[in-house]
Amino acid sequence: MVSVKSADYKAPGGKLVRVRLKEENGVIDSVRISGDFFLVPEEDLSKLEKILEEVPLREAEVRLAIDRFFSATRAQGLGVSADDFVNALLSAKEEAVDA
Amino acid sequence: MKETWRLVDLEYRDDPFMNLAVEEAIPRAVGKGKAPNTVRFWHNSNTIVLGCFQSAELEVNFEACKETGTQVVRRFTGGGAVYHDSGNLNYAISLRKGHPLVPEADLQSVFRRLSEGAVQGLRSLGVRAEFQTINDIQVDGKKVSGAAGSIRWGTIFHHGCILVASDLAILGKVLNVPKVKLADKHVASVQKRVTTVRDELNRDVTTREVRDAMVKGIETCYSVSLEEGVLTRDELSVSEELYRSKYSRPEWNLEP
Repeated sequence: MVSVKSADYKAPGGKLVRVRLKEENGVIDSVRISGDFFLVPEEDLSKLEKILEEVPLREAEVRLAIDRFFSATRAQGLGVSADDFVNALLSAKEEAVDA
Repeated sequence: MKETWRLVDLEYRDDPFMNLAVEEAIPRAVGKGKAPNTVRFWHNSNTIVLGCFQSAELEVNFEACKETGTQVVRRFTGGGAVYHDSGNLNYAISLRKGHPLVPEADLQSVFRRLSEGAVQGLRSLGVRAEFQTINDIQVDGKKVSGAAGSIRWGTIFHHGCILVASDLAILGKVLNVPKVKLADKHVASVQKRVTTVRDELNRDVTTREVRDAMVKGIETCYSVSLEEGVLTRDELSVSEELYRSKYSRPEWNLEP
């Protein structure tokens, strides 16, 4: 079963993380992360999106993938942390279908 | 002896795409040692400038942009969308990485340290400006300036816009502000959480006046002298190339 989920997650004391993802049978098929946070180097956000593909949409797996991303790339976030990305992804809800 | 930085006033008021191309060409040249440390001041006519991670579709009210003749361009730095018009003063600081002003080279230190010149300039005009983490300058809790920046190409880069006499009504229309963001700030609209230098001083203020105050603020704050200069031939050709390949293209500005 395929579903499209999205979330607007406001990091406590930080920035907004907006997630839109396609999930197939509990696994992330593709994800697009946007928002007004800072991440240096900037190109690394697309690496994070790539890493999340094929990851089960469950806390343990998502957290592991995101922690790996930060340790492998040494990307530096400001207004957003690894936890915020995890929370944003896990809070994604199925989008309301327009009537 | 005091360090000298280059002061550049090059701008393309009606071409926000070229303005953003120049904005990238300068830090690229500074990091390579092909240009000196630089401060640039510039203006855009009605334009939304999106942060590099933002979704145009989510942030921009395209209908309102059409009505008000507002263009949309994306910058190479993160952070949130801002509205520029001729009452808004933009400034950018490019320093070679390793500069003693920001030895830590993390973005929060960059914002804090390189906002000080703007804060000092605004205070000299009588605005009770204060830096507010993460990247704002506020007056009594209202934002008067926002900054963004990056550390790349061997450069510490910081830019910001100062609402001098901007039309806040248009700003409120062209930007969609997500509910979750307003809820967090406990105010009902984007208009109520921003202010302008004009409103704070309760008199007409030109962006030139603020620019001059900022030049002095920067010189005092960082013990440097700013010397008027122009872009090198190399910076101009890189600007033109970036305009062609990136900033004039909807693929960069509006997608994904």
